[in-house]
Amino acid sequence: MSDSTMKTVRPGNTPSGKTWLERFEKIDRRWIFLLVGLGTLIPILFPIGFPVSVTPPVKSIYEKIETLGPGDVVLFSYDYGPTTAAENAPMIDAVLRHCLQRRIKVIALALYPLGGFTETARSLSVVMAEYPDRVYGVDYVNLGYKDGAQAAMRQMAEDMHAVFPTDSRGTALSEIPLMQQVRSLRDVDLVVTVATGIIGEWWANLINAQFGIPIALGCTAVSAPKYYAYLDAGQIIGLMGGLKGASEYERLLIDGYPLAATIYEDPLLQSAMKGMDVQTVDHVIIIGFILLGNVAFFMSRRRAPRR
Amino acid sequence: MEPYQLIGTWVAAGLTLCLFSFLYKDNPFFRFAEALFAGVSLGYYIGITLSQTIKPNLILPLAQGVTWDNAHLLFAGLVGINLYTRYIPKIAWFARLSLAIYVGYFVGINMVQKLQGEVLPQSADAMVNLLPPAAGGGIDWFPGSFNALLSFVGVVSVLVYFFFSVEHKGIVRPVSRLGIWFLMLGFGAAFGYTVMGRVSLLIGRFNFLVIEWIGGTMRAFGGGS
Repeated sequence: MSDSTMKTVRPGNTPSGKTWLERFEKIDRRWIFLLVGLGTLIPILFPIGFPVSVTPPVKSIYEKIETLGPGDVVLFSYDYGPTTAAENAPMIDAVLRHCLQRRIKVIALALYPLGGFTETARSLSVVMAEYPDRVYGVDYVNLGYKDGAQAAMRQMAEDMHAVFPTDSRGTALSEIPLMQQVRSLRDVDLVVTVATGIIGEWWANLINAQFGIPIALGCTAVSAPKYYAYLDAGQIIGLMGGLKGASEYERLLIDGYPLAATIYEDPLLQSAMKGMDVQTVDHVIIIGFILLGNVAFFMSRRRAPRR
Repeated sequence: MEPYQLIGTWVAAGLTLCLFSFLYKDNPFFRFAEALFAGVSLGYYIGITLSQTIKPNLILPLAQGVTWDNAHLLFAGLVGINLYTRYIPKIAWFARLSLAIYVGYFVGINMVQKLQGEVLPQSADAMVNLLPPAAGGGIDWFPGSFNALLSFVGVVSVLVYFFFSVEHKGIVRPVSRLGIWFLMLGFGAAFGYTVMGRVSLLIGRFNFLVIEWIGGTMRAFGGGS
């Protein structure tokens, strides 16, 4: 028998000679990845259905749209791409459904270069299929993408037809009935921007500040803290921050409109409310590791010999 | 699901798994997917700008004939093309003229935008009434006054922390230390939101793999609802 196997294992030590504390401090991070992966996969396969509470910044967007109706026009600016679609797409889809429920006319455009145009097409094809009686050109229009967002939106406040001579299909705007009544941003009742970067800020500090056009803003969770300054200053009427904001809007829509409720019952629909189950489980795992990591850190500091 | 959609879904799923493989360790599959993403993104950007901006806003109007109404487009086009003179060493300096125009335009638009749209309204919003009136008369001590005081102390202490013209000692030291605490609370909130954002992206990919890739393939072959 070798010497190593003859060693006795002291209490608190593992057979390798390291304490549990030392082993935990040097845990392979891939175990954490695996746990987070399982925490993500299991609630997707077996939804839990945690309740979603609604906060005032999201409710104020909903209430603003409730004041609008047939004949009013809302402009949707798709200022995000596929890289953040997981959290941005549910929020813009939910607000779009809300507008269609109220028969509000919709102008869609994209100012984000890397996929904004594709996201506009995706969103319109998915949501408009749920409302087949809406007519392109009369009830909604897709203006496509325009480069140079800041300059484009500044000019849109004066003349949208100069910035977008044609829609995404190449039809002249003057031939589109909806765009005959909308010459500039001053003719729209609300701008809804869902943004992944700085474009959301530009809608607030350029279009709202200089032209007083109301802005409703959805953003990635990472950007949410900075937008609270704009919300508090009254530069945006409401804020949807990350997947939580999107889930709150879905909750309001489901409670307010039976047709929307049936849409969100579809098991194939990747809604934000389902995502919040995963968020809860994953956050518990991450908080657990943060707590354990801190406990291990402070315990090892106490055990370390003082100099 | 159409056959071409199914092929696209499988390609996307394969690339997703290539990127996930980095969680185990760096490998050629990850690097391939990463490089492909960078290349496709650039190609997409060029294509979308050509088809959605340069063609409808520049080429088509000029193709219909140059008039006084659209003559300014010639100038804009020349300014853009002029940027590429930097690849011809003898006249490379010419590109600086275009850059000067771009920089000048955006400096001008940003100065007004930042001052009018950020500095003034948000400074005004930070100047809170420390003794706000309550709805039923008197002073709204809680939460009104408490929140206003918290906001006031936070703004002042953080501003003091970033004030480097005086040495942080004496009364300045505890105030700037308090500013650090407020900053840390802010960073903590931002970190929490960042975790939520990153988990959301993970959910998006898992939803794609489960619902669209595995589920879509099963549905395409009649194996699931």
